[in-house]
Amino acid sequence: MEEKLLNIAEAAEILGVSLDTLRRWDKNGKLVAIRKEGGVHRYYRQSDLDLFASDLIKIAREWTTEGSELPSMFYCENSAVFQTRLVKMQNAMAGSGLSENILPLVVAVAGEVGNNSFDHNLGKWPDIPGVFFGYDISKRQVVLADRGLGILSTLSRVRPELKTHVDALRVAFTEIVSGRAPEERGNGLKFVRRVIFENPISLFFRSGDAELRLKKDNNELFITRSQSVTRGCFTIIEY
Amino acid sequence: MRIELKKFGTTLISRQSGKEAFSAFQSTIVGIAKDENVEIDFDGVVTFSPSWGDEFLTPLLNQFGDRLVLFPTNNPSVKITIKLLEDINKRQFKIN
Repeated sequence: MEEKLLNIAEAAEILGVSLDTLRRWDKNGKLVAIRKEGGVHRYYRQSDLDLFASDLIKIAREWTTEGSELPSMFYCENSAVFQTRLVKMQNAMAGSGLSENILPLVVAVAGEVGNNSFDHNLGKWPDIPGVFFGYDISKRQVVLADRGLGILSTLSRVRPELKTHVDALRVAFTEIVSGRAPEERGNGLKFVRRVIFENPISLFFRSGDAELRLKKDNNELFITRSQSVTRGCFTIIEY
Repeated sequence: MRIELKKFGTTLISRQSGKEAFSAFQSTIVGIAKDENVEIDFDGVVTFSPSWGDEFLTPLLNQFGDRLVLFPTNNPSVKITIKLLEDINKRQFKIN
């Protein structure tokens, strides 16, 4: 049976973007619409929308680099929305039969990374507040991103000697900041490192031009420099 | 006195909600006798994180010291969080 076509309004509703955004995406090739023979109206297959929305890394990366409109299903404007969706992810993971040895850790890691974005950028977002938060239960993947200040800028307020994104990432993932001055400071990324060292979870984290990869049983911090500079923070968790 | 953390939710993650929980608990603290233990029960909590724990457990540890007693749990997010909070605060929690 031929797949039912959705009109542009229905597609916009499903993805949570405006009609203008879908028209723009059609023109620039990001999400090409179907046109019936001789027609001018745009139509979409549900399967094409699903495929588009399943590429979490691509969508998050384009948002952090270009600030393009984000499908509302991935956008958490404030921490309350993030908390709600985190619980939803927790429930979905539990429903998928994910082991209780891993489930709390994946949710806690995602929670610490996401909350870090809110805690460190509240009132200081350079342009768009909030985080990208997407997950794919079947791919066992969680992607988080923000357009905030990034680790170097945040940490250099308490560690002015930090000059590079690589050094900032190393401090963020290794040094316990116990003074909590001049602002309250989370130690969430140290928690993330410990969890991953002891469990079958991997993490890719990028801030500025620094990229970090963590995996089980490897306590080395592999921090490399990327060719381009990322706005804010970008995280991929796989389990 | 036993505190069942699940009454604050099953997903205890953010600093903000940890602060709110601690603040809500203040009215109960007043009624705790001077020789009474404060017992923390993690049963029913699915996900626990250092941000929430630092806002709730750390001030209780500072206030009650050895009278704060944590019940043992197999939840891995609780176990790693407790260890990290001990390293941050350079102080051990008493586990029942």
